[in-house]
Formats: sequence, structure tokens, C-alpha cells
Amino acid sequence: METNGNEGGHRFSQKSIAQLDEIITHYPERRAAMLPALWIAQREYDGYLPPEALQEVADRLERPLSEVQAVASFYTMYNFRKRGRHHLEVCTCLSCAVRGAYEVMHKLEKELGISAGEVTVDGEFSIAEVECLDFCGAATVVQVGDQYFGNVTAENVDMLLDQLRNSDSHTPVELADALVKIMTPGGSEAAPA
Amino acid sequence: MPETRILLKHRDEPGIEDIETYERLGGYTALRKALGMERQEVINEVKSSGLRGRGGAGFPTWIKWDGIPKNTNQPHYVLCNADEGEPGTFKDRELMLKCAHQIVEGIIIAGYATLSKVSYIYIRGEFVESAKMVRKAIDQAYRKGYLGKKILGREDFDFDLYIHVGAGSYECGEESALMSSLMGERGQPRLKFPHAPLPVIAGAWNQPTLINNVETYSVVPHIIVNGGAWYASMGTQGSKGTKIFSLSGHIAKPGNYEIIFGMPLLDLVELAGGVTGGNLKAIIPGGSSVPLIPAEIAKDFTLDYEASQTVQYRMRTMRLPVVGSGGMMVFNDRTDIVTLMLRTAEFYAHESCGKCTPCREGTRWLYKILYRIVSGGGRPSDLDILMNICDGIDGRSYCALGDAAAWPIMGSLKHYRHEYEYWIEHKRSPLGDNFVPPVPNRLNLNFELLPAR
Ligand SMILES: Cc1cc2nc3c(=O)[nH]c(=O)nc-3n(C[C@H](O)[C@H](O)[C@H](O)COP(=O)(O)O)c2cc1C
Ligand code: SF4
Ligand code: FES
Repeated sequence: METNGNEGGHRFSQKSIAQLDEIITHYPERRAAMLPALWIAQREYDGYLPPEALQEVADRLERPLSEVQAVASFYTMYNFRKRGRHHLEVCTCLSCAVRGAYEVMHKLEKELGISAGEVTVDGEFSIAEVECLDFCGAATVVQVGDQYFGNVTAENVDMLLDQLRNSDSHTPVELADALVKIMTPGGSEAAPA
Repeated sequence: MPETRILLKHRDEPGIEDIETYERLGGYTALRKALGMERQEVINEVKSSGLRGRGGAGFPTWIKWDGIPKNTNQPHYVLCNADEGEPGTFKDRELMLKCAHQIVEGIIIAGYATLSKVSYIYIRGEFVESAKMVRKAIDQAYRKGYLGKKILGREDFDFDLYIHVGAGSYECGEESALMSSLMGERGQPRLKFPHAPLPVIAGAWNQPTLINNVETYSVVPHIIVNGGAWYASMGTQGSKGTKIFSLSGHIAKPGNYEIIFGMPLLDLVELAGGVTGGNLKAIIPGGSSVPLIPAEIAKDFTLDYEASQTVQYRMRTMRLPVVGSGGMMVFNDRTDIVTLMLRTAEFYAHESCGKCTPCREGTRWLYKILYRIVSGGGRPSDLDILMNICDGIDGRSYCALGDAAAWPIMGSLKHYRHEYEYWIEHKRSPLGDNFVPPVPNRLNLNFELLPAR
């Protein structure tokens, strides 16, 4: 990714800087743009937040690094390690648990040769267990980047994996990008239908 | 009794996400009508409707609206709680996905009634699809002049609506934690009334703030168009209008059902096609935070805010809610209650924000002890310990998440004590040897109390 002549190793593109500037105007205080800024950073830094990303957010919002770390670490969707190109988040909460979520989880672990929380050697996949995604009518629910997949079972999860292997969509970067567009006025024109 | 669709009336209408379609079906006439009324008249209409908040607590909506100071130059904020995170609940997701304009219209009317200029809808970060629809609705509403400066030509009404997305935290659905998160902080709650002013006096950025749930705002346009009296003609004495219930678990036709308050609990289960995979064992009627109701007594319950369950602990008698957020989870007789409670406890232990000791420590202890029981190391004294911990959390935690963690376990100890005792004595599920409990072990807990696995 190009650096756009940013000083101090900053990586935000001109577009990201413009989006952040716009989002800051939504609030009475600059600091309120913390969550949006972290989402922009997660997009710019390849789907996760290495220390430089947190530093860049701290610099741009004029807040101490410790504060940025404290906020970012509270939320589960900010990644502190690089995830797989497809990060599978399996809901194992109540309604999914009673409809086979753990079987889906075990099947995935076996199929990919990794446990929840790990990334495959080729960087293609990672898996995690998550709390209710609030789409329980379609249990078991798996979130992959910006997309929910419903009615996943131990029997059909192979098909999901095949579909993802052949797809460049639903990456962690795409998730962050979608959320930034959602927070940007006029973002729906830019977003695909 | 059938469904009565008011909020979900247009959910299958093609093109309803476009403002033209919404307008053709009567959309934004409520806003026009409201702008022709005095602000207080709008609030009075909401008052006479009897509308109560749909986020879980059922607080009368008009009291909040009316509580926002009038005749001040302070900024006022309107917040929409779209952080839906309660296990079993997926109504706000569908309302945003299918009927986003209805929410936007309700928020604008609330802004007008409360003299606000700025509003935010806080949407959980996982809800990308739904949030895209809200983005689209807001962009279209700006283009049509329903948002922005001098709305519909009114010199005295400028109103902006921004989207703030979350980043994964159940606790951010709690209203004061939501405000913390909106202001760029960790999603932890703030001091509450009577120790601090109500949000309507000092909420976000210490300014008067109105916060309501997605479903609550969605009702507003209908009340304005048809009148509060019309809305109040449906339902029971204390619960007016319709409510959306999300059905999931062992149910033939899972999904959202909009019904008039007062429907018998089991009628709704029938409406959703009945139980699958066995007979009914228990129902969690209103999201994971309300205690489960065993099949044997389910026929005694109706779905309204008046309905409650009584739990006794030592000298205390507590009446616990039934409706909650409307997330109804149905379980058949192949469901092991102790493992289900373990999974519930895991949820709360994971989502506890860590601010106060009873909840931070208590939820982890509940989890550890339930884990010990399903790992075969349960002791007869564990049941008293569980009840003791629940008592230590309930009413003693900083926000309602703690109470919500304790109630389901208290309820299950009342109704399913024999299943706990079976687990402890036989070190296996009462459902038989083949039953393999899912053993979640994702929390980074200290397991020194547990037998080696
Ligand atoms: C732990 C916790 C989580 C909550 N989550 C939500 C939520 O996801 N959505 C919601 O609308 N209200 C939620 N609430 C309730 C809110 O605090 C608040 O009561 C509600 O947004 C007020 O809106 P209403 O009056 O329209 O119901 C939660 C409360 C607690 C204690
Ligand atoms: S009750 Fe739980 S979630 Fe609420 S403040 Fe205390 S620790 Fe945080
Ligand atoms: S329990 Fe899995 S989406 Fe709600």
C-alpha cells in the first residue's frame, strides 16, 4: 500500500484521511471518532491492528497511545493478530449450540487442521467461536468478513469452504471497508447494492 | 391467534428499501403530519398510545420524550439503539434490513418532538447487511429533504442522522455503555440515577439525550398517522400494541412474528409450527436474560409486560420478567438444561465488561462451577454455591448485565434442581450416556479448581 508521503510511517491513504476528517465532523469532539478511526486503520493495515496502526490512530486523533490501546482492546472485532484471508466466526451461542454449532466447529477444526483461534499455514483460513450473531433463526450462523452464512451444518460446511477458497470476497479488509462506507454519508452510492 | 403485522407489514414488498416505494405505501406522511403538530402534541400522542420501550426493560416511551428539557439552548441528542446483541433476538436486524425507512422516520419525529438537532444510530459491527440498508435509507432521506437543513421547509427544524458502528461487545447495548462507546471510550456503563442524572438530563457528552430501541422508533410513525388511541386499542392493560418475537431453537418455522400483546405463550409456539425433534421441554421467552419456563407451566403464561415469574431466595422474593427483548428460544426434551446454563454462563462471563466486582468475578465463578459439574467434578454443595453467587450478583452489580446473568441460573435451579443433582451424583447427563455436552473452553480462565480433563 502506498504511503502518500505520510510522515512517521503513517499509512492512511488520502481517501482514508478524507473519510476520517468527514466522520470527525459528526461528533462534538474529535475523540469520539475513535471506533471509526480504528475501523479505518484495520482496513489500511491489512485487516488487523499492529502497534503502528494504533499509533497512527493516536496521532490522528491527538490522543495518548495508551487510550487507543485501552479502547481497541475492549472490542472483539478489532484484530491484534493477522487473521486468515477468510476468518470464519462460528456462533456457538444458545440457539446455534442446540442446532449443531459445536459439530460445525469440530468439523471445521478437523477439515482445516487448526483449532479455534488459529490460522492455517497458508494464511487462507482462521476460525473463532463467537457469541450470538443475532440471526438465530438461521442457526448455525457463521460470519465471514462482511457476510453472514445461515443454516450451516457439519454436512454442508465443506461447500462453504469450497466457495470461500474460490472467492476474493468477505475478507477482514472488506469487512472494515464496508463499515467505513456505512459511516460515511453518501456511502450507499459507493457501496454495491 | 394469527400475526398482526404493523411494523413488518411491508417486509415482503419488493423495492421497499427504496424511498419511492416507501412513500407510495404511505411512508413519511407521519413526518409531515407530525411537523404540522405542536411538539408537545406529538409527545401526547405517544403518551396516549401507551408505547413502552422494546429494548428489554419496557419503560414508558413518552416519559423519556417528555423528560427532555424544553426551552434550552443546550444541544440535545437522539440515539437509536441498534446494537441488538441479546442471544435469541433478531428483530432489529430484520427491521433494519427490510424497513429501514420506518426507523429513520421514527427517529426524525423523535428529534422534532425533543428539539434535537443531531442523532446517531448505533449499529453493532457484525450487522453489515442491515447497516447498508440504513445507510441507503439515510442517504435517500437527505436527498428528499427529510434530513438536513430546514426539513420540509421548516425554518426551525434542522436535523442530522449519523451512523456509528460498534466493534463487538454485548455490553454496548446497555444505554450508558452505548454512550461511552459513542464518545470513543471502552463500552462500560456510567453511573446511573439516583446517583447521577438521568440521560434525558445529562447523557451523551453530558447533554440531554433520548435513547430508544429500533423497534420502539419503528412504532412511532404508525402512532402519529393512526393516533395514540388506535394503538392503545390493541393489547392488554399494561402492554399496548404489537411486539415482534424472534423464534429460534427447536422450532419448525423459525423467524420473526409480530403479535398483539397478551397472546398465550404456547399459541405463538404453535404459530411458528411447533417444536421439532421431540416434545417441548422449556422456553426462554424473551432473550437469554429472562429465566426459562418449563413446558409444564408454559400454558400459564401470556406474552405481555405484566407476566412474570417468581423466584425465591432466602428472604427475597423476586418477580422476573417474561417478555424482555422478545428473543424466544424453544428447547425440546433432548436438551440438557445444565449444559444450556453452562453456555449461558459462558456468554455472560465473556461479555461482562469488568467494571464491577460482583459481575466480573461472579459470572466467571458461575461458569467455573457449571463447568466443573459437566466435567464430572460436581459436589453436592455446588448448588448452594451457585445460588449464593447469583444472590451476590443480583441487585448488587453496576448495570443490569449482572442481574441478567444471575436470573436464568436462579430460574433453572428452581425448576430443574433434579437435573443438577443427577449430574452431580452420576457425573453424566440425565438424558443418557450418549449425550455429549459441548464443552466450551474458549475463555481464558483460571481452571485450577477443575479436575484435569
Ligand atoms: C446488558 C444490556 C444489554 C442491552 N442490550 C440492548 C440492545 O442490544 N438493544 C436495545 O435496544 N436495548 C438494549 N438494552 C436496553 C437499553 O439499556 C435501553 O434500556 C434501551 O435501549 C432503551 O430503549 P427502549 O426504551 O426503547 O427500550 C440492554 C440493556 C442491558 C443491561
Ligand atoms: S454488571 Fe457486569 S457488565 Fe455491568 S458494569 Fe458490572 S461488570 Fe460491567
Ligand atoms: S445463537 Fe447463533 S446467531 Fe444467535
